[in-house]
Amino acid sequence: MMRRMSLFPHGGTPLGNLELTRDEIENDTHELVSELVNLPTKARRQAIRALPISFHERRYVRGRVMSLKHSKKNRTLPTCCTDCHQQTSLFFRRFGAGVAAARKRLVIWQDALKEIGGRFGTSVLSYFRFLKWLLVFNIISLLINFCFIAIPQIVHSPNITHTVNFRGLELLTGAGYFNQTVFFYGGYNSNITAAQPPYNMQLAYFFTIAAYLVFCGVSLIYSMAISFQKNFVLVSGPAYSGTWRLLCSWDFSVVNEKAIQNHKNNLAVQLKETLSERLQRKAAASAPASTVLKWLALYLLAWTLCVGLAVGSCAGIYFLQSHQDELVPGISGFTDDLNAEASTLILPVVVSLINLIVPLIFSLVNKMEHYTSPRTNIYIGIARNVLLKISILGILCYYWLSDVPYTVSCWESFVGQSVYRLVLVDFIFCLLGSFFGEFLRNIIGTKCIPSLGVPEFDIATNVLNLIYAQTLAWIGIYFSPLLPIIQVIKLFIIFYLKRVSLSMNCQPPKHTGRAAQMQTVYVALLFFPSFVGALSLVAYTVWSLKPSEQCGPFRGLDTPFRAVHQWIATVREIPGSEWAWWIFEHVLRNELFFYLITLIVLVLTYFLWQVTQGRKQLIRTLREQIVNEGKDKTFLLNRLQSIQKQSRAAAAFSPQEFTERTYFNPNWMNTLPLEM
Amino acid sequence: MGATATKLPKDQLSEYQELTFLSKQEILLAHKRFTELLNRNERQQLSSRVPMDKICALPELKSNPFRKRICHVFSTSDTQDGSISFEDFLDLLSAFSDSATLEIKSHYAFRIFDFDDDGTLDYGDLEKLVNCLTGESTDTRLTSEEMSQLINNILEESDIDKDGTVNLSEFQHVISRSPDFVSSFKIVL
Repeated sequence: MMRRMSLFPHGGTPLGNLELTRDEIENDTHELVSELVNLPTKARRQAIRALPISFHERRYVRGRVMSLKHSKKNRTLPTCCTDCHQQTSLFFRRFGAGVAAARKRLVIWQDALKEIGGRFGTSVLSYFRFLKWLLVFNIISLLINFCFIAIPQIVHSPNITHTVNFRGLELLTGAGYFNQTVFFYGGYNSNITAAQPPYNMQLAYFFTIAAYLVFCGVSLIYSMAISFQKNFVLVSGPAYSGTWRLLCSWDFSVVNEKAIQNHKNNLAVQLKETLSERLQRKAAASAPASTVLKWLALYLLAWTLCVGLAVGSCAGIYFLQSHQDELVPGISGFTDDLNAEASTLILPVVVSLINLIVPLIFSLVNKMEHYTSPRTNIYIGIARNVLLKISILGILCYYWLSDVPYTVSCWESFVGQSVYRLVLVDFIFCLLGSFFGEFLRNIIGTKCIPSLGVPEFDIATNVLNLIYAQTLAWIGIYFSPLLPIIQVIKLFIIFYLKRVSLSMNCQPPKHTGRAAQMQTVYVALLFFPSFVGALSLVAYTVWSLKPSEQCGPFRGLDTPFRAVHQWIATVREIPGSEWAWWIFEHVLRNELFFYLITLIVLVLTYFLWQVTQGRKQLIRTLREQIVNEGKDKTFLLNRLQSIQKQSRAAAAFSPQEFTERTYFNPNWMNTLPLEM
Repeated sequence: MGATATKLPKDQLSEYQELTFLSKQEILLAHKRFTELLNRNERQQLSSRVPMDKICALPELKSNPFRKRICHVFSTSDTQDGSISFEDFLDLLSAFSDSATLEIKSHYAFRIFDFDDDGTLDYGDLEKLVNCLTGESTDTRLTSEEMSQLINNILEESDIDKDGTVNLSEFQHVISRSPDFVSSFKIVL
């Protein structure tokens, strides 16, 4: 339908130059109106709204549709039922509009985001959107954890006996005073089931964490699939060099004069680059073997260096961790020694320092290498940073899950505190990084060494830092259910800090082309190493590790998951609910069940893959058909023109016949090729 | 403003809401901004027009290289002077709003880029488009060689039926493969 609507005539519309007659216009409008009348109310509103014609004409179309609708309706007697239906649908429509308006008001940072988009463009805006998205995750987790775990615990046993007084250092280390609070796993106990009304803390703890992780997983997969489909599948295709992408990337929302000038310069540079990229590709293909060998050797060297650095930092961290254990015995929180408590901060500081310095070395290494396209360059930079961060987190988790449970008395709280310290120190380093990295760099760039210039806002590094912080928050969710509080505060402050730092110190980044695609990559990174890693860590803890004997809701059980077994056993005793037990026992605990599910999923995937292949084939065929039809069209037009010229030439010789003869050869059908 | 501000009648407002992609707040804001551009006498009638240069002086459009084209495309003036009535203004904001469909956005983008209003993007239109985007200063301007190379690339990539111009459906096909377009084709008051 849309195609024809765009033919709807108005001066300047496509095909407007064909000068449709009044009758044709009327015909078109009539067809359009009769098509619209048959649509359901909501779809009709949408369709009218989406007509690419002026407001006045839309109103005209709507008026005609309405009058036609009414004349139809009058034939059928109006009943009470239709009236009632209309009233309710009107009510729901108004209600929906009201909810939508309220939601728009509730959205935080609307103006701030608009301003950032106006000054720095969509790609920088995507960083802040990502931050906001993470904030929503954390607020949700904070709410459910607080409601279902923390409040029952506080209500049922409010009197926590503190063995140590509050000294202030706890804010950094999370140990001491905080150790017995609901902030950490150790602050919860299982015996509040006896209280009235009964509340099973074990189940609440288990299901709240599980529900949150499932929610995160589903929404991550969903948004990843959507943006992957939008930004990658549609983009890939034959003969796509990306020039149009650049032309369409003009940001109409940018209002700042300087930013627009910048944008223009960048666009010119990038357009020239796309031209030279083709030449470069040719040059790279024809480069002599010795140069290629040199490049390969450089790549190899760079990768060895980067992997070596990552492995080295991991080894250092592991050594420090085990060493620290010998150095300060009994960090499990019951010590009064201030020095011992402060020394627990060494490890997080070292980790954050590595996170700060090693990426700088990586970017230096990156400058050495020679890549044909800047995009490969960016992706390789990201890959190395992710490798570093993931291996650091991996070694920390390995230590927490392999050594800690057998050496520390209340090990879940210990892990929770470690994560808390990492989160907090990372936050402090982020603050310092903005100050020294961006502010001082700006001053050096403008005052001391003008050749350096104002720093660019590095989106990739900043987003990777956010992903790292979120991974920590996910890892800590089981060991410290209220950790999202810290994460929410952290994200909130980072938003304002980055906003100020951005407007004071930075200039918009130069390469902005693939903002949407990069966003997909970030969401994918957040899903794959980050979320999946944290999920498997928590799952391993719940399914196979023995919870500590002295503290926590799961004390006395073999594994935390045993709590569910016990619950199912009690459910079985309730008459009429044996089916739940049967499902648990015979379906959920059965390997065959999961095997079957996997099999079905695999078959479905294969089937869908085949469908995609078929569609690709279809697209190729259709493309060829379009090209052929275009050729036919030009052929016919040329033919028509030459015939017209001939007849005009003939007319020029006999001017008296001119008025009587048509320009058009009446036998034109015979001049067409036979296939037609 | 103050006492002289005219209010939108309620049924008018609901009609605007139904026929555009704008929410109630956005329409009211648009009305406020629009009446600020009118002088005292014109405020009473809804059909008053604002001349093109006044619209182009809005901070949201002031630095936009396409501002004149935008006015021309959205203006329904009979004299083709690019003047904008309130309803044209709503049309403009609606097409550039967040909730407008890709179809609408690409349609108007096509018309904005179609500098000679002939219904297709030909060599001249594309040249003007690239010049508009890169600016007219000598250091950013592409040389004529680069330009012809670039336009050949563009046509090779988007002119599916090989007739030497990009028509609306070809343009929409290209747009559907440019994921950044929807988020950047946006003007917020």
